[in-house]
Amino acid sequence: MKPLSEQDHYEVLEVARDASGEGVERAYRLAHGTYTDDSLAGYSVLSNADAAAIRERIETAYRVISDAESRRAYDASLRAVDDTPEPPRPSPEEQVQAVLELEVPEAVVSGIEPFEEFEEEPGGAFDGARLRRSRMRRGLELDDVARVTKVSSTYLRFLEEERFEELPARVYVRGFITLYAGCVGLDAQSVAEDYMRRFDSQSISPGRRGAPS
Amino acid sequence: MSSSTGAGPGLPGTGGPTKPQPRMIPVGGGKGGVGKTFVVANLGTALARMGYRVVTVDGDLEGANLHTCLGVSQPSASLADYVAHREEDLGKLALETATPNLRLIAATGGNLATPQPGHARRVQLLRELRKLPADFVLIDLGAGTHPAVMDYFMVGDDGVIVVSPEPTSVENAYSFLRAAFYRRLRLSMVSYDVRRVVTLAMDESNERGIRTPLDLLREVQALDKTEGKRFVEAMRAFRPRVLINGVRTAQDVQLGFSVRSICRKYFGFDAEYLGYVNFDDGVRRSVRSRRPLLELAPRCDASIYLARVANKLAATAPAASQGAATR
Repeated sequence: MKPLSEQDHYEVLEVARDASGEGVERAYRLAHGTYTDDSLAGYSVLSNADAAAIRERIETAYRVISDAESRRAYDASLRAVDDTPEPPRPSPEEQVQAVLELEVPEAVVSGIEPFEEFEEEPGGAFDGARLRRSRMRRGLELDDVARVTKVSSTYLRFLEEERFEELPARVYVRGFITLYAGCVGLDAQSVAEDYMRRFDSQSISPGRRGAPS
Repeated sequence: MSSSTGAGPGLPGTGGPTKPQPRMIPVGGGKGGVGKTFVVANLGTALARMGYRVVTVDGDLEGANLHTCLGVSQPSASLADYVAHREEDLGKLALETATPNLRLIAATGGNLATPQPGHARRVQLLRELRKLPADFVLIDLGAGTHPAVMDYFMVGDDGVIVVSPEPTSVENAYSFLRAAFYRRLRLSMVSYDVRRVVTLAMDESNERGIRTPLDLLREVQALDKTEGKRFVEAMRAFRPRVLINGVRTAQDVQLGFSVRSICRKYFGFDAEYLGYVNFDDGVRRSVRSRRPLLELAPRCDASIYLARVANKLAATAPAASQGAATR
């Protein structure tokens, strides 16, 4: 494991060298959230100075990697370093480092596309709970979905909780669910079909409460 | 020396041709109330439902309740019988549960004066657990970082720690990881001087200013190159797995990735983000009705998450079950 000071920009962001632009964005957002002063994950181990130092490295790494041109130049410089023949007599510490570096890629690869690690469920109908699972897996809050779809987060929550009696007319619900599905990366049509089937079967008798509280 | 990784493959000559050993999965996390017992009961159930032979062990001799989560109301035997030398055969302590393939070694009826076995007995216990005819042995650890708890956690390098998305739990999870990690490092070191430096570093306010394992690595390397290499190996081998329990928001989901990043950047070891289980009212219902959620409501949200984690555990398992099946 390399100390931060010796890590390259990709290692700092915990992405693979061939990470997509989207992967870099996501990694950056994650890192940014992790190393704020009041981060739940960090506050009890990192001093503010530690966090600031890490943040600085992350910002620099992101600046370089997120811009296509500077990334190309940086990649070229990395390759040049990789091609440089070993110095004649590596110190013991460098030897240890070399051993570590050999296996670093695996660890780094496991860090890409964080939210894709939890595979999509193989089957079953799309109900409200499954929609929520898909959203969480993508790392999106209801407010994020609301921003993208322009559907109020209250309605989005009712969709997830299947509080059908609180939702507006059928045609709107269909519209909402289609937008929601698209936003969390699901096939909008099959989601809408499944969901509307549930909606129809449970809102036949008006006034019936189908809400799980 | 290198036998420091786990308790070793058992004593030589104990059983003819080597039997496939169960996968040992200790589940800890430092703080009480984060759902360790719930997780063990349900992961055990999920794995058993997948066809694996599972033994769940209640390692919490001071606050046993795994039996309750599994619906065994009054265990007829328990780990306490082993601790008190009343029973030497652990297999006889493994009780059937309502779920086929799932057995339980309870921890009820212990001696209040000396609940935990002494160190030697613990080592023996862990060795016996490895001989159980099972594919998975899940150990539910008590709260805190008592040496007994750490010993059970150290049964492998990839124990699970359960964290709930709250400051108190996250804090304790780090203390737990720290304790486990330094213990592992110290066990891996051979030289007396180096061990002493590691012990020193375990004191968070040590006067040498060793704050992180990476600082400690420098000290060790300066002292002894061979030990430095061993130290690096131990750092690499340590690979705990993080499970976030009680997730309500996407930010809570993200916590696992953040913890993993901090383990890597600050402590210098890799943690795996094993998965997350959402906050679900069904959980409380299941504990109240004293049945695993996966039996009570296999289609509910939390059950689906738990089954997902179990799948992941099974997928990364070495082909132990196949070996067992041909036997």
